[in-house]
Amino acid sequence: MRVMRACMRLDLDFVCVYTAEDAESGHVRLARELGGDTSLYKIISYLDANELFSVADAAEATAVHPGYGFFAEDFRFARRVVRRDRPMVYIGPSWWVIRDLGDKINTKRIARSLNVPTVPGSDRPVYNEVEAEEIASSLFEFQTSQGIVDGVIMVKASAGGGGMGIEEVGNFDEFRSVFRRIRNYAKRNFGDEGVLIEQRIFDFNHLEVQVVSERSGTKHVHFGTRNCSIQSTGKQKRVEIAPGFAPGVIPYTFDATKVIEEITEHSMSMARESGYDNVGTWEWIVTPKGEPFLMEVNTRIQVENGVSSIISRINGEPVDILSEQLRLALGGKLEYSQEDILFTGVGIEYRIVAENTDKRFTPCAGRITKLDWQKHEWLNVYTQVPLDCEYEIPMEYDPNLALAIVWGRDLAEVKVRGAQFLDELILEGTSGGKSENFYTNIRYLKEKTGNILEF
Amino acid sequence: MDAERRIQNLNDRLKYIRDIFGQKENDNIRLLAAKLSEVVAREHDLPGGVLAEELARLEDLFDFSERKLDLSLSPMDLVRIVRHPQRICLKDILENVYDNYTEIGGRGEFNIDPSMLIARAIFTRRVGEKVINQMVMVIGQEKGHGESYRNGGSVKPWGNAKALHYMKVAETENIPVHTFVFTPGAYPIEDWPGAAQQIARNLYELAALRAPVISVFSEGGSGGAEAVGLGDRRIMLSHGYYSVISPEGAAAIEGGLRGGTRATPELIEKCATQLCITAEDNLRNGYIDKILQEPPLGARPNHYDFFRELRRELIQATNEAVSEVKSMKLYRAMAVRARKSDDAESIFMRWTLSKSALKRLVDLRQRKYRAMSRHARLDGTGVMKRAVAATKETISAVHSYFRYDLLGRQKKRLDVIFEELGAEAHLVRHKLLMPLKRTIDKILPGNNGVEEKKGDAVRDKLTRLSCPEDGACLVGSEWAWTSPRSQQDRTVSCPNVRTHHCPDLWVPDLFGDFAGVCPSCGHHFPMEYRWYLENVFDYKESKEFNSQIESINPLGYEQFDLKLDKAKEKTGLKSACITFETAIDGVDTTVAVLCAPFRGGSVGAAEGEKFIRAAERAGRKRQPFIAYVHGTAGIRIQEGVNGVIQMPRCTIAVRRYIDAGGLYLVLYDTNSYAGPVASFLGCSPYQFAVQSSNIGFAGPGVITETTGIAVAPDYHSAYHALSRGHIHGIWDRREAKKNLHQALLTMGGRNLYYR
Amino acid sequence: MLNIKELLDKVKASPYREIVIHAPHTGVVEFGGLSKGDMVHGRDGDYKEKPGTLLANLTREKNKKPITAPEKGEIESVRTELEGKFVEAGEPLVTIKHFMTRKEVIELILQEALYLFRAPERAKYYFVPEVDQKLKVSGKRSVKVVEGMELMIVSRMKRETPLAYSGPDGIIYSVYFGRGENVDEGEPLIGICPEDQLTVIQDVVARIQSEWEEE
Repeated sequence: MRVMRACMRLDLDFVCVYTAEDAESGHVRLARELGGDTSLYKIISYLDANELFSVADAAEATAVHPGYGFFAEDFRFARRVVRRDRPMVYIGPSWWVIRDLGDKINTKRIARSLNVPTVPGSDRPVYNEVEAEEIASSLFEFQTSQGIVDGVIMVKASAGGGGMGIEEVGNFDEFRSVFRRIRNYAKRNFGDEGVLIEQRIFDFNHLEVQVVSERSGTKHVHFGTRNCSIQSTGKQKRVEIAPGFAPGVIPYTFDATKVIEEITEHSMSMARESGYDNVGTWEWIVTPKGEPFLMEVNTRIQVENGVSSIISRINGEPVDILSEQLRLALGGKLEYSQEDILFTGVGIEYRIVAENTDKRFTPCAGRITKLDWQKHEWLNVYTQVPLDCEYEIPMEYDPNLALAIVWGRDLAEVKVRGAQFLDELILEGTSGGKSENFYTNIRYLKEKTGNILEF
Repeated sequence: MDAERRIQNLNDRLKYIRDIFGQKENDNIRLLAAKLSEVVAREHDLPGGVLAEELARLEDLFDFSERKLDLSLSPMDLVRIVRHPQRICLKDILENVYDNYTEIGGRGEFNIDPSMLIARAIFTRRVGEKVINQMVMVIGQEKGHGESYRNGGSVKPWGNAKALHYMKVAETENIPVHTFVFTPGAYPIEDWPGAAQQIARNLYELAALRAPVISVFSEGGSGGAEAVGLGDRRIMLSHGYYSVISPEGAAAIEGGLRGGTRATPELIEKCATQLCITAEDNLRNGYIDKILQEPPLGARPNHYDFFRELRRELIQATNEAVSEVKSMKLYRAMAVRARKSDDAESIFMRWTLSKSALKRLVDLRQRKYRAMSRHARLDGTGVMKRAVAATKETISAVHSYFRYDLLGRQKKRLDVIFEELGAEAHLVRHKLLMPLKRTIDKILPGNNGVEEKKGDAVRDKLTRLSCPEDGACLVGSEWAWTSPRSQQDRTVSCPNVRTHHCPDLWVPDLFGDFAGVCPSCGHHFPMEYRWYLENVFDYKESKEFNSQIESINPLGYEQFDLKLDKAKEKTGLKSACITFETAIDGVDTTVAVLCAPFRGGSVGAAEGEKFIRAAERAGRKRQPFIAYVHGTAGIRIQEGVNGVIQMPRCTIAVRRYIDAGGLYLVLYDTNSYAGPVASFLGCSPYQFAVQSSNIGFAGPGVITETTGIAVAPDYHSAYHALSRGHIHGIWDRREAKKNLHQALLTMGGRNLYYR
Repeated sequence: MLNIKELLDKVKASPYREIVIHAPHTGVVEFGGLSKGDMVHGRDGDYKEKPGTLLANLTREKNKKPITAPEKGEIESVRTELEGKFVEAGEPLVTIKHFMTRKEVIELILQEALYLFRAPERAKYYFVPEVDQKLKVSGKRSVKVVEGMELMIVSRMKRETPLAYSGPDGIIYSVYFGRGENVDEGEPLIGICPEDQLTVIQDVVARIQSEWEEE
């Protein structure tokens, strides 16, 4: 939806695809409103790249935006966009950048080659038991030397993901059996028995650096940091705050300003070295001791870009990172430098989701009967839920309902405004199942607003 | 009454002649028919004496005409003779050639496979004053005496397994084996033990069977014939045929016919002629040792003279085979060799052989086949090069002997001792010195600096880039070679889309990144053999040998020169087989590749020779031997028996290699069928297949045609082959190299140098 | 009691079922030269290896894919105006009038005769593992259901909840859903036959077998 709006702002034509399940949803309505029926194409599945290219050819599109999900991290998709007989512009980084930085192990190795701090442990899949034991024993030794009394290490399948094939080990005696188990699991399930061994980091804040680069890959700026520490059990972000820390307001046990400087500097240097050439996010974890470790690089625009946009000003003018992405991807230049970007105030982004936060964030099916909120100039709400009729939450996708961005001059104000918005929000629905109630995460979000940015 | 019987007899003879000559009209036949009907018409008018005279004259005429017609027999007529219901069959031979016999494992249709007949038989004869009995094991296909259940002599896999069993019995009992080939071909079903795999097993065992084997060929139809035909002496009946494929089958392939349409008789006739299937052809090519002359127009059960001839020939051949390897070469041996025809019966020679004689027998047999089919290929290697190569071969053989056998064994022994000592020392150090060190550390805490430094090292190891020489990016590495197809912008559908709902694949992704494997269901699209050469076998670094051996058209098969040239031009190869030495992750190996694009990967004399030389080279160099079958359609039919004979030849080479302690490993890809699978590939103890490949004896079309059963489209799929026990594992193409390396480390014989 | 004759007559009055062939995905469509009134056939062969009559080709990203007839029948209409044009997913292309087979008629009439246990909501349905196992091993008729028995698993939004059976006791006679398929609310899931009526049901099947003549 925001891509469509950004297109309108830049005076670009667009076409949009939808599936039978989604025919009623907000983005289809918006597309119809903004671009008319001819801008809409019905396809069989969002996950089938062939459908997208087929439509792109039929509509004679010149550029492709991969959205926020699935295809945005697939370098093959990006490569196909530019390598077809009728090439198009891929709105995102070049495919080799996605390939190199899209892989966690590779990212870790690139980071290490540039002396960017990463989580202690192996930086390549380990196959050999002797080697693995050596790494594990040095990890325990290392943690002891760092004063960590009961250090834990993580053993995970290098080909795995999404929490599959990961186990924690508390002492060296257990290590061998866990290593074997994970290796066998990996061989059975992923076909590759490579295993990663890393230190387990407890109690950390999840920070992100928003990087924006020109197509040439030589000019880069950043739009500050975000704190995304409030996540559901499935590591899904629920609240994001920009900037990442509030030094001076909240007492930190470490020098928060310095940490922010450090991670932005490291992110920028990596972007420079890897020739990064579009919008991307460097994800970091920061321990209570103020040590940052690079986790991964998101080679795509993220949903939470809006919260960075809202606190940023270029020469005093407001900015929209999404529009910048489109403009830069199509060959536009960065006419401003880092010094021209100033940050004012604090922004919070809430994700309103139909889920039961008490029951491990299980998604909730049903119909939305009413959705409304009080309008404020400090508030932006994006939703695919139509406001004038009922809406069935589509079963095939995550039950995200709306996204709200709240801005305040300082942390205190934004907290008040956030709470106010959540209080004023009207969201009613009925459950699809017979036995359960309809749940959303609004109460959870309210609770979390109280102590944001605190460690 | 007598006259009537004689007339009846003549009628039968005329009918038989007509059957043999099929549609073809002939003056001789017309004349006979006319004369016969004349006599028949006048039968009742003539007085007895005159009639008898007339009949005698007519019989003479028949004799004369038959002899005359015999000279004009075409190859296809021979095929019709052999297939005629009146053709002699194994039961006739058992009854008329041997003096007594006991059939084993069958009473009519109560038999595991009535088309394979096993019997213990004896020759009883008087030599001088003594009456002697000599025992043999008789094995052969039976098509008559109960046609309804004999399956036309088409032996099922378990029939061949039974044959193999009794060959082993003969080996144990130290008696000769007489095999009789009366088969149009094997029955092409895959059920355990599998048509192809069982023939391969038979060949593998026959290759070193420690018993004299005498084979008699009447109807030698390709694979089915080979299952029992690998003999020390091969006798062929003059009216028999020995061929790579039935003339009808060749014609169907030649005419490009599919789905039940029949080839014209003219085409079949032509194919029969071109395939060189007659006894004379085979004798000329050196694939049989002797022709046994049959009566005019072929032997029938009432030709008792012929049976006597056969008996004499069998005794003679067995004597020859035995005398060749006996340590005591007496006058008898000379007499045997002199081949004075009729006195075979009068020479008595004990047919049991000593251990060393049996060894010589096997060795002689293996050499005999090694020397065959030299004329059917072209060796483009220059004389000098050949001499150099021969010298090198000798040197490397000597070298390997010294390095691995003589010195290697000593070194191994030394290594073992040192290893033991080292382990002992380690234990001592650990047990004794560590407590000591700990005490010292406690007393002298001064060396903490070392600890600190060590701490830094640990820290560096855990946070700095490991193996910087590999570069920062690990995932960027691509295949060493990708198919040119990966340059096309188009999509393809996975064949499993109906069952697995795979999305369409973009060709550059599929062939560039995924190595032609559907990422959602694992279906393997066919891939060029170059891919394997470069990505698995490191072809650029390898040492190719015998690249000058070239396929030719030994039979002068019509238009085949042209087709062969086209294949050579298209692929840049001289034959379908590439042989080279390479290292797979540091393990030196010898590899033979059969490439599907060159005439369907079919095996002829050149391919067989290259394969044999590769096996020999691997043996000399103490290297593992890998056969990668990119695809094979079978034996090259246009080479006729020159192709079929590669089945025993290559199998013998493989047998020699394995017996010498080597590791022989087969990897199948795409489609592998028929002869090669039924011999030198199927006999490997380690056969693996790339996923989505097909392995079998005969294609689905042939199965339907010969058996009348429609088989499922996935009848030959690798998974079915695996569950039937024909292959021993299925590999993913992307992991072929890794699996191959693992296989080299975990499998195989005792004589591999890297052990 | 069930009036089979009446039911059969009803079916006989309109023995056709309309099958609409939709575009399975986007692409450029070319019809196979069929027109109204032509007869088509579905997949056949011993192993269903021979595809049905070609109705149209759909080309997407240079990949030409045939769309074949799923069942035997007569062409009712062809959207010839779409020839050579780009179509979106789900666009109707061809309509086939399909004369119902004996099996289909049996299923249709059985739906009247059996107790149908319907889907409470739109979701994917699975049998619980024990039942699934039994169905696979010993066939449909082997499973007895009683009121309140935990029979199925409802999979909705990546979350699975058990579903208990409610209705008369009996055995499972028919299963109307496929694995991994979305079933709409109110659609039948299984057909239950009380044990004492099994013979009646079998009579019904036998009668249709003999009375319904396939075209």
